Amino acid sequence: MEQEKKLTEQESLHLITMMINKAKESYHDTGIGAIMWGTVIAICSLVRLSEVQFDYKLPFDIYLLTLVAIIPQIFISIKEKKERKVKSYDDPYLDYIWLGFGICIFLLIYISNNIFGEWGSWANEYKNITGRSASFRFNEYVAPLFLMLYGLPTFITGAACKFKPMLWGGIFCWICCIVAIYTSIKIDLLLTAASAILAWLVPGIIMEKEYRMYKKEQAQLNV
Amino acid sequence: MFKDLDPILHSQLRLAVMSLLISVKEAEFTFLKEKANATAGNLSVQIQKLKEAGYIEVIKQFKDNYPQTICKITSIGIKAFEEYVKNLQVYLTQK
Repeated sequence: MEQEKKLTEQESLHLITMMINKAKESYHDTGIGAIMWGTVIAICSLVRLSEVQFDYKLPFDIYLLTLVAIIPQIFISIKEKKERKVKSYDDPYLDYIWLGFGICIFLLIYISNNIFGEWGSWANEYKNITGRSASFRFNEYVAPLFLMLYGLPTFITGAACKFKPMLWGGIFCWICCIVAIYTSIKIDLLLTAASAILAWLVPGIIMEKEYRMYKKEQAQLNV
Repeated sequence: MFKDLDPILHSQLRLAVMSLLISVKEAEFTFLKEKANATAGNLSVQIQKLKEAGYIEVIKQFKDNYPQTICKITSIGIKAFEEYVKNLQVYLTQK
């Protein structure tokens, strides 16, 4: 770009618009984190569904996979931050939203395990005394709470990054949340897997594809 | 004539740099060079002029043992840019 070139007022405005658009288009997430979490949550839900459906139990809790997935996520985040040449104003807020989401998920697991432990013994006592099972099953209501939380950071990220697949993914989580209130645990697990696929895995694949195209374009420009 | 237009900003490369920086929190020198399609030497000179005017902040550091230059727009820079765009719009409407 020639620095000394005289600018007309129209050229100035055109240049400003062009550069602002270029800066906006420069944000490209690799999508690897979204792909990983979408896959992990979908696998966990489907394995748990198979446990319920075929009445068997794995020697470990399949949801422990989510704890294992934190390790590669840390490396992915560090690598993405290092490679990023530009920081947007939204970046720190989105980081805090996802961190807060992670904390909320683990708090919800802790709370539900405690309540389920308490409620389970009450339900057993009720069954012993009355001979009937309690009509309220706590574990049937856990999935909608998780789906509600899944929707929040996904929706915000989709809106902030103007990335529609994620925005719709977040809305899909909330629709599944409402449906899951009225469905059995098997359907709840299917809805959780579908939400993970539509909210994270599919948008992640789209992001990764766009990122690869962007990198290819950049490489061609630099030749 | 562009009497009211800020002469610091009314230059193609400096305006391009300011337009890029107004949209982001901070950007690396290589990003500005790539997006503004400028040479490193020319960009360095223009960045220095913007820095001297107090419009941008330049942070020089090391990343993986390589020097890294990060540019950030300052509050003075934001004000000047907004004023420039406002004057430009006034000029265009009056024309």
